[in-house]
Amino acid sequence: MSGQLPGAKELWERFMATMKTRAGLVCIATVLLFGVTTGVARDPMATFLSILARFSIFFIITLSLNLETGHTGIPQFGRVLAVIAGAYAVAAIPGRILAAAMGLPCGLRYGDDTVNYKVVPRVNEMLAANPALSIGVFVFSLALAAACGAAVGWLCSRPAIRLREAYLGISLLAFGDVMMWIGHNWEPLVGGSTGVFVPDPFAFTGGGRLEHVIVVSILVVMAIGSLIFVEMITRSPLGRTFKMHRDCELAACVYGRDIVKVRTRSLMIGSALAAIGGGLYVFYTHTCKAITFDRATWTFWPWAYMMLGGIGSNIGVLFGVMLYTVIRYNIVVRRHFLEKVVPFDPIWLDPLLGGIMLVLIVLFLPYGLVPEKPVSTLPRRQIEEMLKKVRARSGKSGS
Amino acid sequence: MLPPVVISGITYAGAIALMACGITIIYMSTRTFNFAHATMATWGFYITYVCYMLYGGTPYQYFPLSFLFGAMLGVICYFGINRPLLRREASPITLMMSTMGYDIALLATIQIFCDYLTYKLRLYPRRVIMSTYETMVWGVPASFFISLILAIAIPVALHAFLTMTKFGVAMRATIENPTLANIIGIDAEKVYLASWIIGGGLASLGGAIVSMTITGTPVMGNMIVVTMFAGSILGGLYSAYGSLLGGFVVGIAEYVGTWLLASYWGGWLLGYRMVIPLIIMAGSLLVFPRGLAGLPWGALLAALKGALPSRGKEVSP
Repeated sequence: MSGQLPGAKELWERFMATMKTRAGLVCIATVLLFGVTTGVARDPMATFLSILARFSIFFIITLSLNLETGHTGIPQFGRVLAVIAGAYAVAAIPGRILAAAMGLPCGLRYGDDTVNYKVVPRVNEMLAANPALSIGVFVFSLALAAACGAAVGWLCSRPAIRLREAYLGISLLAFGDVMMWIGHNWEPLVGGSTGVFVPDPFAFTGGGRLEHVIVVSILVVMAIGSLIFVEMITRSPLGRTFKMHRDCELAACVYGRDIVKVRTRSLMIGSALAAIGGGLYVFYTHTCKAITFDRATWTFWPWAYMMLGGIGSNIGVLFGVMLYTVIRYNIVVRRHFLEKVVPFDPIWLDPLLGGIMLVLIVLFLPYGLVPEKPVSTLPRRQIEEMLKKVRARSGKSGS
Repeated sequence: MLPPVVISGITYAGAIALMACGITIIYMSTRTFNFAHATMATWGFYITYVCYMLYGGTPYQYFPLSFLFGAMLGVICYFGINRPLLRREASPITLMMSTMGYDIALLATIQIFCDYLTYKLRLYPRRVIMSTYETMVWGVPASFFISLILAIAIPVALHAFLTMTKFGVAMRATIENPTLANIIGIDAEKVYLASWIIGGGLASLGGAIVSMTITGTPVMGNMIVVTMFAGSILGGLYSAYGSLLGGFVVGIAEYVGTWLLASYWGGWLLGYRMVIPLIIMAGSLLVFPRGLAGLPWGALLAALKGALPSRGKEVSP
């Protein structure tokens, strides 16, 4: 019966079978590490929320990178560019619109720190009194971030038409750096070197732990939504075209695929997703400061997460981001244990171990912890039935 | 007498040219776009700084040591990371990724080294103005002459090495066609190693020189890495001479060009200094994607000669 759902016993057997694979072991290790980190913390709830928030934001960004690099084969070394686009859009536009509606300074002066610190709290007061408007502002801001990200992706796709590999990678990296410097130097955009406050669309929850829980829950939902979205793309004809482009451009051309369109679509979708990640980050931190969007944090680390999890594997990316986030969290938070042992600030162990780990992954685990698997485009049950029929036929012919 | 900004600009451009040349040499031979070049440059600066603070003298006398240290970093990268990947015929993206990991780890070692200098040796290594330790020659900082001489001497030496020595010819052959070079008995791995030694050495030497014109910090190399890449790409990525020229052009345009624009439009422009290399890089990729080395120099010279009044009899082919 093709429409029948698997029973509890079958589901349990499948689960146990998965747990015995490498993916299962990675899953167990990740959950254990996360559990121990949270359990031994002084404030388990705060630790739990903090790790989940970091994980969710970086998971969205790394997924977008995986879509462009892992699935399409574009050397996206300028991930920070789309993240910045989303962050700037969320930090610069909705606040100005709300300030204008309230008759507050909203033009170029909005970026001035002496003005911004007075305007944004008043905007927050208004948002706190209007939950419906707050949710509208949140949704509009993310849509705006996605649109800006897609526009940036389209712009990035222009050099991608002509350039390949190193040329393209370096060009994208340079674009990201320049965008950061523009934001850092041009104060009216997002406050220059001092940054700006970002309106809080969750002020109506009353602040404190409750707001933190709600915001992190939304981040997690967004992360799960992004995973489903990317997984659906991966299994769709578009996703298969992306992979065809990655594996052999010539073959894609032979089968009538327009390489430029494929690259443009991948870059636009990926950049829109990364921009949403950037927008969520500034919402979470309530501030936007251009200099914080450096290439190490927003390009190199997502690459490291993706490499650890497995290039082209969405589930691998999930574990890669979680595992790395928990390890980095432990180094940063528990560095005081090492302070008396090592003659330097243990915070540097984070990039040191990260760099070494990245090299080791490239050398000894090139497909990551959970390597990419061929995507089955038909439902599992249907494939199993087809297999049964084929086996039955071959059995008959054999006898 | 040249204005001080032009003198500093030429020093800066010469150092960028050396670093861009290092990137190109490594890329030409191993197909590896070395992200760790930035941190290798920073290490070059710190070697000079620490030796000068501990042993005195002049900073310039430690430049060869910086070169050697950079070469050593290159050797470590080659044997530890690059060679296994090259043997496995890894893709250019994987090769780039591996150097990214090396860069992150090297940057961490610089930070650790700075902590050590601060806590143990009581130095202040996180913000160093090396220009205060300059020696003046005819009223001009000595680093200006060193940078200029090296920017001229390196291409000459490189040309002599590649055309007049047996190993240089073997190196060119390997770069042109590694498979064919292997067939005729050239050890490609020796060539790759030599590329990493020269490339790493030039990165650190360039870093030591460039610190004479900009503030030395643990992230100094990362701040100028886009300029290095721009120089290398402007040069064409497949020509060491082109990268030297490209690096020099980008360096001058960034340093002196920003100053000229700022003196005309206002000081606010100084903050956008990093945009200039990007514009040059984007322009060069759009107009002549193979860089300066890919330009038909022969045809251009011939066209120029044709435009000038003829002085001799034209010979038909």
